[in-house]
Amino acid sequence: MEELENTGGIVEHDATLIPLIVHGVLVDPNTDTQIVILRDETNTEVLPIWVGATEGTSIRLALEGIIPPRPMSHDLITSFMDHLGTTVKQVVVTDVKNNTYYATIHLSVNGMERTVDARPSDAIALALRAKIPVCVTQEILKQRGDENREAWLAKLEPKQFGQSEA
Amino acid sequence: MMTQMTIRGLLFDPYNNAYIIILRDEDNSDMLPIWVDRSEASAISFAMENLAPPRPMTHDLMKTILDTIGAKILSAVVTDLKDNTYLAKIHLLYGDSEYSIDSRPSDAIALALRAEAPVFTKEEVLHKQNSEEVARWLEDLKPEDFGTYEA
Repeated sequence: MEELENTGGIVEHDATLIPLIVHGVLVDPNTDTQIVILRDETNTEVLPIWVGATEGTSIRLALEGIIPPRPMSHDLITSFMDHLGTTVKQVVVTDVKNNTYYATIHLSVNGMERTVDARPSDAIALALRAKIPVCVTQEILKQRGDENREAWLAKLEPKQFGQSEA
Repeated sequence: MMTQMTIRGLLFDPYNNAYIIILRDEDNSDMLPIWVDRSEASAISFAMENLAPPRPMTHDLMKTILDTIGAKILSAVVTDLKDNTYLAKIHLLYGDSEYSIDSRPSDAIALALRAEAPVFTKEEVLHKQNSEEVARWLEDLKPEDFGTYEA
């Protein structure tokens, strides 16, 4: 909830975009990846996105409000933007092709809006640091479909839950 | 005083399961070894080999954002060595002002390589560290260690 309350500055370009909250990050001990769980406010839509271990760690630190002793790469990007007077206005997961998600980051540079292409992991890591939600298109939630859910459940075998308890 | 450094290579350190970035000065008299983790090493090796990954990696995004803002990356500087940890700064030019921003050396180097900007080291950092640690490490390295990471 807290994340959604801080959306005062968000630019609403598209009323069909759905703002999602980062619910948590799961560690997949068998692969070098982590799973970011995005969900909507009412908990009816859940979107899992696989990310690399470094990006997953960066997202988890931001989610838990932990400031690492050394700034991570996303902290550095945030520091650049703070110094140069640029803000992240909106982050959108725009597309999924062959199980790869695509995202865009909307920046406010000198009052002008600029958009850059990003991996969702980087976009989510920056959204958390800017305290804004991660928006997705309706199509993404539709395309996520049963196929991904099956793949997700197949990866999460009961034995793995035990292993991830560290 | 500042010394310009070039990145001479990345070594795998099987003992620590980490990588070592080797920086050398121009006349090869000083060496600066910096230990980094695998993702930092991969961010640097992509840039060293001029490879364009299929999706922008974090440092590619970092550079794109700076380009979009209109900030120029002037240099990366390794500024200090404290408790075995190197500190660095990234120097940016934005408008008429120069900015100096704290960074890990790995981020600074990964970004400088992408911007074709120089990497410098403060001379006192070179004096603070002597390359004994790496010399010792290289001595300890047995030929069979090399084989363990040839995949």
